[in-house]
This record gives sequence, structure tokens and C-alpha cells, in this order.
Amino acid sequence: MARVLPQVFRTTPFRLTLLFLTVFAAAASIFLGYIYVATAGEVTVRADRAIGQEIQSLTGVYRQGGIKALNHSMVERAVGDRPFLYLLLDRTGQKITGTIEASPVERFNGTQTSVNFKVTDTDPDGAEVRHSARGQQVRLQGGEILFVGSDVSEAESFVLKILRAIWGAGALVILLGLAGGVLISRNVNETMVGLNRVVIAVRGGDIAARATLRGVNDEFDELASGLNDMLDRLERSMGGLRHVGDAIAHDLRSPLSRLRSRLELALIEAEAGKGDAQAALAQALEDADGLLATFNAVLAITRLQSAVEAPDQVRFDPGDLAEGVAELYEPLCEDKAIEFKLEATPALTVRGNREFIAQALANILDNAVKYTPEGGAVRLRVRRRASGEVEFSVTDTGPGVPEPDRPRVVQRFVRLEHSRSQPGAGLGLSLVAAVAEAHGGRLELDEGPGALNGSGPGLRVALVLPRPS
Amino acid sequence: MRILIVEDDVEAAGAMARGLSEAGIETVHAADGVLGLAAAQAGGFHVLVVDRMMPNMDGLTLVETLRREGDQTPVLFLSALGEIDDRVAGLKAGGDDYLVKPYAFAELSARVEALARRRETGSVQTMIKVGDLEMDLIGRIVHRQGKEIDLQPREFQLLEYLMRHAGQSVTRTMLLEKVWEYHFDPQTNVIDVHVSRLRAKIDKGFDHPMLLTVRGAGYRLDA
Repeated sequence: MARVLPQVFRTTPFRLTLLFLTVFAAAASIFLGYIYVATAGEVTVRADRAIGQEIQSLTGVYRQGGIKALNHSMVERAVGDRPFLYLLLDRTGQKITGTIEASPVERFNGTQTSVNFKVTDTDPDGAEVRHSARGQQVRLQGGEILFVGSDVSEAESFVLKILRAIWGAGALVILLGLAGGVLISRNVNETMVGLNRVVIAVRGGDIAARATLRGVNDEFDELASGLNDMLDRLERSMGGLRHVGDAIAHDLRSPLSRLRSRLELALIEAEAGKGDAQAALAQALEDADGLLATFNAVLAITRLQSAVEAPDQVRFDPGDLAEGVAELYEPLCEDKAIEFKLEATPALTVRGNREFIAQALANILDNAVKYTPEGGAVRLRVRRRASGEVEFSVTDTGPGVPEPDRPRVVQRFVRLEHSRSQPGAGLGLSLVAAVAEAHGGRLELDEGPGALNGSGPGLRVALVLPRPS
Repeated sequence: MRILIVEDDVEAAGAMARGLSEAGIETVHAADGVLGLAAAQAGGFHVLVVDRMMPNMDGLTLVETLRREGDQTPVLFLSALGEIDDRVAGLKAGGDDYLVKPYAFAELSARVEALARRRETGSVQTMIKVGDLEMDLIGRIVHRQGKEIDLQPREFQLLEYLMRHAGQSVTRTMLLEKVWEYHFDPQTNVIDVHVSRLRAKIDKGFDHPMLLTVRGAGYRLDA
């Protein structure tokens, strides 16, 4: 059944509309039903009251003047303009007088109240019509039977009109509701179909598929932009994984094969009883440690990238943290005759994982000290930007990074030509970027204050963390 | 010294036992958490080396159980995980130190020795003395052969740690963790620079050097 329904009837908004309509129709039925009962009831009550009064009046006549007076009065009344039907029967049930032929009351036990019946009349065209009527019957003291009825067809047709109006209104409400439901559903459905198409495309392997925003900032736009954000993240991390795979193959293969040949050579030499096996082993151990350090760094980066946000975040003073890391690197600067300066705005607050941020800062400082020539300068600055973001920036007077290369040096394992001579696996800035991202911040690379010997612009690296909420 | 290794990887445990026996440490091996708990409860160990992830009972549960029973034997957690939250969980469960696999034997034996030693020095000290080197922990003054040595606060902390572990190898990572309280691996060996400054202050001009470099391991302060 559901399969043959057009798409729009299967949507959630349409179902909700149906549910709403059902509830609404039930409420309307109760309300309209009440109106019907009230009006229809009123019509019978009025008729009954009028009939009762007429009977009372007639029995009064009977009590005072006996059957003759009653007969007389009834004839008078029947030809008058009173809207009643009359019938008077004698003790044996024979008609004495009346405007109808027989009593509609079949079994009379003496206390019969109201009864419904039909009377036949002739309309102006001469055709017979049957009208609804209502009447009451009483037994008089002498045993005669008096019946008074009233034509209620007009009142009944009024009730019928009301009933028809009720049906009409009900049908209209349901039709309009259905139409509204279809309209809403179609509108919602179009949006959902768009989003669904993206999901299907991504499931089919097209990770680049994105939902289009309608630009009205409603919850669908929110959903669409959330979906797009999620896909961006997914695409980045998939790209990252692919890159790591390639990079590991490329960058770890050579140290691994170096390690292998060193060990093989040491074995051959040891078997021949010559060579310094101990030195070879020590060197091999160093190679293995380097490989492990690289693996650990890659692991830390991928973990940070796959986390929604950095774990164990606390509020802390970024100046304190910078001071600690600076203190770690200061002697290194002094040994290289690099002038080191820390400028921190006091009493700032930032929220994050202290350990990761300290490590990120250490990585930035490490690079700065590594690439700044002797006699140069490194400055670490902590300050709050006008935007409320907190920035840790390190400027150096090294060769800097040419602008076209800046996005690249953040990638894993990317090392620029002149840095190949320096130790390191090319993971430092990738980790900084991963730390920044896991805190909702970013890593910025800029020109520095100029290189010491004019060999480049120097470098300014900034870790920017969002304003603590 | 006698230690218990609770580790489900039998080959790794064997290598560990060989590595530690080189450092003169006697080892007993338990191959899962339940066996490890029983062995630890039997007692007689200076240090427990416990793997985090094992069949039957994981390392955290093992150590939590021991601590609940009032057993205060120092515990070194071993883990292949190595993230900060893992380390914090390990320390919360009652571990005293945390080492990430793979590790150097030198690192493992240095940490095991440090843990075993820590237990012996229970009382609060006001003075530490190693050979002719004296540290006044209250006045924060250091003398060698009666001559006052001027130290920066961090140098003082570094020397205090080395003096408390005199005669033992301490690794660069241990110093970074215990003195600076950083748990990451700096790309450049910044610790070496700090140690050589300290060495210049305490050894320069004296008849014999006390702060020695241990090849492949780190440093050792000897009387």
C-alpha cells in the first residue's frame, strides 16, 4: 500500500498533517454533534411543550363542558389557524371528530407521552407529501381518547439544513487540511530530497558532494551546513590518511631500509670477526628510536584530528604556560647566541588542554631556534586580539618560508629543501595545526621582522585559540 | 631487587626480563591480570610492572583491587596507548608511573629503580647529601665542599631530583616529566642543555665530576 502512494504522502510532514487532521476532525465532530443535538432537541422540546399546553387547554374545556364542549372547541380550533392536528375517539376507539383519521398511537396504556409519526398532505401542485409530525395522546375521564399532534416538518428541515452545513464544513476542513499538508510536505520534501541526494552521493563514494543552502537560515539550512561541515572534516581526514599512507611509505622507507642494511652489514662483519658490532647496534637503536618518534607523532596528530575536540580542557593563564615553555628553550637560545624575549600580557584566560598547547608551543619554538642563525632573535608573544582570541606568536629572524610554501609546511612530512639538513621528521607544524584545530583555533604563518643576514623575511608563527566562552 | 611483570605478551615479557636482569633486577612473570593479581597479593615485590590491556583482568582493575586492599607496592603501568587521558586514568587507578610502549630498556630499568627507591625514603627530609654535595631543602641553598653554588629555581629542582636518585640512571624523559612536568617528546634535546648548565655549576672547578652522562640512558649523579 505504502509503495503505490506518491512520495509526498509518505513524508513526515504529511503524516503529521494527517494526525493533526484526525485530531482536529474528532474535536470538530464533537462540537458539531453537540450543536446538532442541541438544535434538534430544542425543536422537539418546543413542539412537545406546545402540544402539552394545547392538551391542557382542551382537557380544561372537557372538564368544564363535557365531551360536547370539547368537540365543539376542537372543531373551532381545527378550522382556526392553530398549527395542530386533532383527533378525538370514543370509548371504543371510534373517531368522533378530528383532522386525522386514526391515532398514530398503536398500543395505548393511558400515559403515553410523545410519539413521532407521518401525516399525508397535499402540496400546492396537488401531489401527496408526507410530513413529519409529533403528538401526544391522553385518556379523558369519560374514557374518550384525545390526541393532539403538530407538524414538525419545517423545524425538521431546519435541522437538516444545519446537519448539511455541518457535513459541508467538515468536508471543507478536511480538504483544506489535506491540501495544506500536501503543500507543506512538498516544500519540506524538496529540501529533504536535496539533503538525501548528498547522503546517497557520499555513500556512493563521492565525498566531494555538498548540500546547497537555501539562504533562509532555517533549521534545514542549519542541517545542511552541519552536514557540509561534517563532510569537510571527513574529506580532510580522509585526505590526511591518504597523505600519511604515502608519506609513511616515502619517509619511513628510507630510514627503515638504512636500519636494515646497517644490521645486515653488522651481522656479516661480526661473522667475519671484524667491524665494530657495538657501534653498529647503537646506531641501529638510534635509527629505531627516530622511527618510533615519528610514528608516535603521526599517531598523536591523527588522534587529535579524529577527536571532536581536545580532551581534558581546563582554563589557564596562557602567559604562565608560555613562561614554562620559554624557560625550557631559553638555554638553547643562549647557547646559539640567539636573543630570546618573552612578552606576555598578564592575567589572560584561555581554555584548552595544557599539555597539547605546551607541546605545540614547544614545537614552534623548536623550529624557530633551529632555523634562526647564530646571533639572531626569537620573540614569543602572548596577547589577546581585539576579537577576544588569544594568540601565542613566535617570530624569528631565520630564512622564513616563502609564501607559496606556507600552506604546505603544515602538512605532515613536508619539509622544505633547505630544512632537509636539520633533524626532524617534518611533523612539528602539523601537530601544531592539529592542536589548534582540536581547540577550534588555527595556525597562522606570516613574514617575520626580516632575516638577520638578509637571506629571507624571517617567520612569524601564531597559534590562535578562540575566546574562552 | 625483585619485580613482578604482569604482561600477556610472553615474548615482550621475556625480553623485558632479560633487559632488566642486565640491570641486576630479578623478575617474575604473570601472563594475565588474574594470575598477576594473585602473584601481587602473595607479595614480596619491590615494584609491579603492569600492562594496561590484558585478557581476564585489565591492568587498571588489577591495580585498583590492590590499592583497595591496602597494598601500596609502587606500580609502573605499561601501555601502547600513550595519550594523556590514558596516563591520567592510569595514575588515578593508583599507578605511580606510566611508560608507553615501545620503550628503551634503559628507560624501563631507570623508572623501576626510581620507583623502588622512592619507597625507601619515606620520611620528610630537610637536607640531602650526596658525597660532598649538600642541599638544604628549607633554605634552598646548595654547597659543594663547603662552597655555595648559586642555582636558578629550575636548576635547583633538577639537582634535587638527581640527588634524590643519586647512583641511579635517570633518563631525559624522566627529567622532563618529573622536573618540568611535561609529557611530550621535544624534538630537540633541550634537557641536555639544562643538564650541561647544571653540570657547569656543580662540577666545574672541583676535583671530580659528579653529574655523569650514561650512554644510551641519560644521566647519573654519583658521589
